Amino acid sequence: MKTLETIAVGFDDSPDSRAAVRWAFSLASRVEANVVIVHAVGLMDRFEGRDDAPAIEESLHRLCDDCDFERERVRVHISNGDACSVLLRAVDDPIAADLLVVGSRGQGKHPGLLLGSTSLELAEHASVPVVIVPTL
Amino acid sequence: MMLIANAPYDDAGHEESGHPERPDRMSAARGALDDLHLAEDLREVGPYLASRSELMRVHAGTYLDELGAFCYAGGGDIDVDTYATYDSWLIAQNAAGAGLAVIGELERLQDGVGFVATRPPGHHALRDRGMGFCLLNNIAIAAASLTAKGERVLIVDWDVHHGNGTQSIFWDNPDVLYVSTHQSPLFPGSGAPYEIGGMKALGRTINIPLPAGATGDVLRRGLAEIATPVIDDFAPTWVLVSAGFDSHRDDPMADLALTSGDFALLGRSVAQFAPRRGRLAFFLEGGYNLGALRTSVAATLASALDESIEFERPSSGGPGMTTIDSTLEERSVALRIAHEAAAKGDYS
Repeated sequence: MKTLETIAVGFDDSPDSRAAVRWAFSLASRVEANVVIVHAVGLMDRFEGRDDAPAIEESLHRLCDDCDFERERVRVHISNGDACSVLLRAVDDPIAADLLVVGSRGQGKHPGLLLGSTSLELAEHASVPVVIVPTL
Repeated sequence: MMLIANAPYDDAGHEESGHPERPDRMSAARGALDDLHLAEDLREVGPYLASRSELMRVHAGTYLDELGAFCYAGGGDIDVDTYATYDSWLIAQNAAGAGLAVIGELERLQDGVGFVATRPPGHHALRDRGMGFCLLNNIAIAAASLTAKGERVLIVDWDVHHGNGTQSIFWDNPDVLYVSTHQSPLFPGSGAPYEIGGMKALGRTINIPLPAGATGDVLRRGLAEIATPVIDDFAPTWVLVSAGFDSHRDDPMADLALTSGDFALLGRSVAQFAPRRGRLAFFLEGGYNLGALRTSVAATLASALDESIEFERPSSGGPGMTTIDSTLEERSVALRIAHEAAAKGDYS
């Protein structure tokens, strides 16, 4: 079985994605893996002129401190695309993730439906294991 | 020459407050038809609702079921960019049907140029997922209806964003040649020169990424030097165009620097790829500055129809000529490696 070296976490600074990052930090500490925080830049980000990068960095630093996780073992990857496609690409170089971690949000307004659920889409299409972290 | 356009359908119900993909876009595109003053040379067809079997040439039945159920449950956000309302399912079926109706009329007349003025747009929609403002892939549904009859379809996509959905749907289909010019880096993040098609369709995908600020002369050189030789070899029997006008310099979604004059030249270029009259149709994709959208649609169609109207001067002098050089090189290397891998049964 391949060693777990790189964990990619979908992150948009929502409570659900922060829970996913905490879980990933916890696992990474135990298996000595690195963590890549993956943030998707969509069409509406561009239309509304949003630059989330500074807020993401700041939030991440807080999470590292809260979880006592070394900042040097985390990097941020900001990429154009929808969240699902960007995370699916994280399996390839340069990230080469062995595991994808996402929060459980995305069930949307209609929990019985697959549509709009990044986590369920990932589970269907990813070529590496996917962990969906529930928000407690 | 006659313009075959889809009849208007009620798209007002597909709207979300503050969203750039809005009903006013359709008014702007329709306004362009008024600007052309075509009178009896404009023929409208439809409206036509695409059937499930027509949609399933491209989309998974499970996705169609989910999308319909999602809409009828009241809709909402499919992702951070893409919304659907209660009415969106019906409107999306009308958008897909519009392309089929226009293609059908072109086939019947064996003459004219088609214009499919629809929303929501389609070229980001994947087989099993809507994204990037798109729910159903309108141009892919039309192209698949043609390949089902043995046609060879060239799709030229000049929207500022890469048409990842169309590329993905026809990735391994040798009867479709997909050519995209798009700004890179930009949403959706795909569209690199080394993306060249699947094992059964090696070379049938052509991506020409352009840097921010690129002008029409750069794009034209990319089409001429990278795409045209492949198009000539492919010898399409139909030409469909994902005509996105968000590559106009005034569009708020991106940073290419095209003008309506560039779209006029592009309209003429793609018309020359068609084997004969009645084999060319333009499908509206993006374009979010209403003024630029209207003048660009008019310039494109006027040029394809050999009508004369006034438009902006074509743009030139922007960055990107070296990008064209590197794209040629990257594509060539990717094709060589892929052919070697395919020979060993090691390419998918």
